[in-house]
Amino acid sequence: MTIRLSEWRRAVSDVAPLLQFRLADLRGRRRRAAASAIGFFVVLTVAAAAAPAFGPGATTSSKAGDLLILLPTAYLAFLLTTTLAIVGTGGGRELMAADQAVAFPVSPTTDHLGALLLAPLNIAWVLQAWSLLAVTAYVAGTHHLLFVQLMTLSWLAAATAVAQALAWCVEWVRRGPHGIAVVRSTYAVLGLGGAALVATNRLGAVFDASPTVWVVIATLAPLDQHWLTWCLGIAATLSAGALAVALGAGAAHAVSRRTSRDEARAEARAFAPRAMPRSELAALVRTDRASVWRSVPLRRGLIFLAMLPGMVAAAGALPWEMLPILPGLVAAGGALLFGINAWCLDGVGALWRDSEPVDPQLAFVARVWVLLEVLLVATLLMLLVAGVRARGLPNSAEATALGVTVAVVSLQVVARSMQWSVRHPYAVELRSARGTPAPPFVMLGYSAWLALTSTLTGVMFGVTAQASDPTWALILALPLLLAAVRRLVITARDWADPDIRARVVSTVAAR
Amino acid sequence: MTHPSVDIRALQVRFGAVEAVRHLDLAVRSGGSTALLGRNGAGKSTTMRVVAGVTPATAGDVRVCGIDVRRSALAAKRAIGYCPDVGGLVPRATPWEHLQLSARLRRLDSRWEDDARSLLDRFDLGGAAHRLTSGFSHGMGRRLSVVLAAFHLPDVLLLDEPFDGVDPLGVEATLQVVASARARGAAVLVSTHLLDLAMQACDEAVILRGGLVVGARPAGQLRGDEGAQTYRALLA
Repeated sequence: MTIRLSEWRRAVSDVAPLLQFRLADLRGRRRRAAASAIGFFVVLTVAAAAAPAFGPGATTSSKAGDLLILLPTAYLAFLLTTTLAIVGTGGGRELMAADQAVAFPVSPTTDHLGALLLAPLNIAWVLQAWSLLAVTAYVAGTHHLLFVQLMTLSWLAAATAVAQALAWCVEWVRRGPHGIAVVRSTYAVLGLGGAALVATNRLGAVFDASPTVWVVIATLAPLDQHWLTWCLGIAATLSAGALAVALGAGAAHAVSRRTSRDEARAEARAFAPRAMPRSELAALVRTDRASVWRSVPLRRGLIFLAMLPGMVAAAGALPWEMLPILPGLVAAGGALLFGINAWCLDGVGALWRDSEPVDPQLAFVARVWVLLEVLLVATLLMLLVAGVRARGLPNSAEATALGVTVAVVSLQVVARSMQWSVRHPYAVELRSARGTPAPPFVMLGYSAWLALTSTLTGVMFGVTAQASDPTWALILALPLLLAAVRRLVITARDWADPDIRARVVSTVAAR
Repeated sequence: MTHPSVDIRALQVRFGAVEAVRHLDLAVRSGGSTALLGRNGAGKSTTMRVVAGVTPATAGDVRVCGIDVRRSALAAKRAIGYCPDVGGLVPRATPWEHLQLSARLRRLDSRWEDDARSLLDRFDLGGAAHRLTSGFSHGMGRRLSVVLAAFHLPDVLLLDEPFDGVDPLGVEATLQVVASARARGAAVLVSTHLLDLAMQACDEAVILRGGLVVGARPAGQLRGDEGAQTYRALLA
């Protein structure tokens, strides 16, 4: 399908006012916080792209050589995981929530451009982009680093555009006749195919044949003064990206003509009544738990979060000592689905819930319980998948490090999320898979913060997994656990304050 | 002398620079029903939220059945049934799950189930009792909010915009709920824009403008064309 030039012009010019409209959600301190979040993200991205080049062993060490061999696979993995992440959100993030957009003439092309612009709000995108920039910098060293990283950025942009276009195509199929069955069957076939490649040890050969080898050659061409190769690489990736943007817009128009059935099936279904809960806490937990698992976008997001890192780790046969890096990613991703604005689960029902006679601290405990439970389920599922090819059973130091990492990052993420939820509530519905629990710019800051802290924690416990004595992991975990518990206690006290709670409740119920 | 079931004295509510309610006095006796009337932004819903214990008062004294809402919020909430002005329903819970949660938190005995079923049927929600409320129409949501406020037979019934978008059968069922609450001695406070329905449900009306009480009239004085003119004059 072709889109007229005037439509493109209009779509591009509509993006800025829509962004401004979303920014209008943020005033005063919140706007400054959003600006700080963007600054924080940019600084971390620049640091990831440059700092490793100055590190010991950059370019020259055997480790740099090993990473060079893995680089094409990493470039390909970025494309695959970004595609799956956008597919998981039903076509990527939206500039304007669907229920608000009905009152405005927002074209599918504008929606497509907005989704592309907001793609970095995904923690999988952020972490992988930083990793790719960092590994490339370490392999390339300081010589012509700027040109090297320009090519990496060009690949990140092109891969994101391709992933977005593919995601629209999947969404178009999903919304069609028998779409859900077709998409699920395709996942099953791809999963079985991947498992067969792993089982027959042919995964490496497939990765070696990846066309991203040429992307890496073009990326590193400036090191050997091969400027023509570099220029061709830049031109090819940018052209591929531009073509993907154009095709993606066409696919977005096709998707817009099919109705989303995200929650329609769940809403039409009858849920069998259950026995009365035995206690007040059980009643609260049951309600909160249902709010998470009955939400199609949350359920889908959690399954992706659990499976994706697990499958990547299994494909790469990551050993037990390296697995502590992953729980942080899953916990942070889970929090970014809803945890950072946990009271939004009640939606417009928040006012009624707060009028019920229950100790607010008990309601807080129930919410913490459910958030922690959700993160732990996703993390344990991920470890189950990742552990399949992690070579035997972990030794005591590895098992301790892994267990402690799961406990620490989960509690850290829950404590931080609950604090943000009480301090910065937002009115969101989370009915669509494309919705986010906070405005885009706030999500950027949250993603960057959670990605950084959970990765650092994971790296720290990854080091303890290599120690002979498991006690180190326990010693390091204790202060971190205490700090997280302290944060939770302070936040629970804030939540019990009627003025603070009234602000949160009236905000999340205001739709 | 007995205390009014709802006793509001010198209530003031501020949101930053905005004064939503200014020095409001209001009393509803047991078995009585009062309508809160006024234009958008008059302070009706804010007053209801303060009585429900959801929004704290900036100043003033609010008592429900003699209980200070600020100091003993839990005890006050046990005495109240509240239908909020917006939504009021947890999106991914069914009506029956809402009722179960409320019954557990209020420690009701098992008899609540029959009462709740009959109330759901009266509001034509029996067939939707096990469906998620996120799929409900606006009117269905309003009707369920009234059921949730009333099923536990509270001493004080607070209905904020209960007729908004509700069909005639739902309106009739709501009026019956108000009447039966009054008959068993509950105090009812109804906030609405709909003067005619308010006058059917209540025996007196308090009119708010800009957070201030600008008039209080017995229902008889606000009925019919003459009552509508009186009301309009108070709003202007």
